[in-house]
Amino acid sequence: MPGNPQFGMFIRSMREEKKKRDPAYSLRKFAEAAGISATFMSKVENGEFDPPAPDKIKKMAELLEVNSDELLAMAGKVDPDLSGIIRDQPRAMADFLRTARDLNLGRKEIEALTDKLRAERGLDPSEE
Amino acid sequence: MRVPYLHKADIEAAANELLMSYHYKFGMEEAPPVPVEEILESLLGLALEFGDLDALLNKKGVLGATWVNERRVVINEMLDPTEDPSVEGRYRFTLAHELGHWQLHRHLSFGEDGQTILCRSKSKKDPMEWQADCFAGYLLMPKKDVIRSWEEVFGTHEPYDASDELYNMQSRFDEAGEASEAGLVVDLARDLAEVFQVSGLAMQIRLVDMGLLKLR
Repeated sequence: MPGNPQFGMFIRSMREEKKKRDPAYSLRKFAEAAGISATFMSKVENGEFDPPAPDKIKKMAELLEVNSDELLAMAGKVDPDLSGIIRDQPRAMADFLRTARDLNLGRKEIEALTDKLRAERGLDPSEE
Repeated sequence: MRVPYLHKADIEAAANELLMSYHYKFGMEEAPPVPVEEILESLLGLALEFGDLDALLNKKGVLGATWVNERRVVINEMLDPTEDPSVEGRYRFTLAHELGHWQLHRHLSFGEDGQTILCRSKSKKDPMEWQADCFAGYLLMPKKDVIRSWEEVFGTHEPYDASDELYNMQSRFDEAGEASEAGLVVDLARDLAEVFQVSGLAMQIRLVDMGLLKLR
C-alpha cells in the first residue's frame, strides 16, 4: 500500500485538536466509530496505508465536522453517489459539468448558480 | 544511567494522582475499567500509534516504546485489541506501563539517542521497568476500586486463601507436562480481571500485593 501522507496528516491533526477536549476522539474510539481497526487507522494517519473506503471517509468527515466531499477529494476519491448521478443522466449531466469546466466557473459562481436554482425550486440554501 | 529509588507508596501516589487529574478534567464515571487510552491521549495529549515495532526498531519482543521528545507512544500492533480482543488485558497493561515511564521517568535522560524508552517483555529486572510495571498495576487497579469490587463479589473484607486451589492447579499442570508458574491464575482473580479489563495474572499479583489473596 503506497499510502497518502497528506490525507493522514490532516486526519491526525484534526483528531488531535478534538481529542484534547473530548476523549471520544482517542485513536481507538475514532477508529471504531469509522469502522476500521486501530492499527489500520494508525497507519493511515502515518501515511503508510491508503485511505479507507468512501463510506468510512464520510464517517470520519462527520466525526471531524469537515466537508465529506473535500475529505474524499483529499483521499483521491469521489462520493459514490456522484457517479450514480452521472449514470442516471449521462449526456446532460456530463455536458453540464464539462460546460462549467470549459467556462472556468469559479467556486463563487457555481455556488451562486446552485443557490439560485435551490431558491427557485423552494429548497433551503446549500450547507456551505 | 541511575534511576532514582522510588518507594511503592510513591508510585501508587503518582498513579492515583494521574487518575484523579483525569476525572477532575473530564468528569466521567469513576468505575473500572480505568480509561487508560483517554488519560494518555486526552489528558496528557500524547500521540498514540500502533506499529510493527519489531521492524521499526529492528529488535524482537518490544511491546511498547515511548519517544519522550516527540510526545509519542507506539504500541506493538500484535497488541491491538480491535484486531484481536484476546490481547485487551496485555494491551492496557502495556499502555499503563508506558504511562508509568512518562510520569516517573520522562525527565531522566536515557537510551542510545537520549530520548527513547523501549519496553521489552524480558527486561523486567531493570529498575525502570519494574517501576513502570508497578505504576501500571496501581493505575489499572486502584486500591479503593479493588476493595469495592471485592466486597461486591464476596460481601466481606476478609482475604481468601487460595493455596489449596493453586496447589491442585499446579499438580494438574505438572501432570499435563505444561507447568508454567506464570500461567497459574485462580478463578477469583480471573473473574475480577474482567471488571478491570486486565489479565488474570496482573489481577492476581495485585490481589496478593493488597493482602486480599493468599497463595501459600
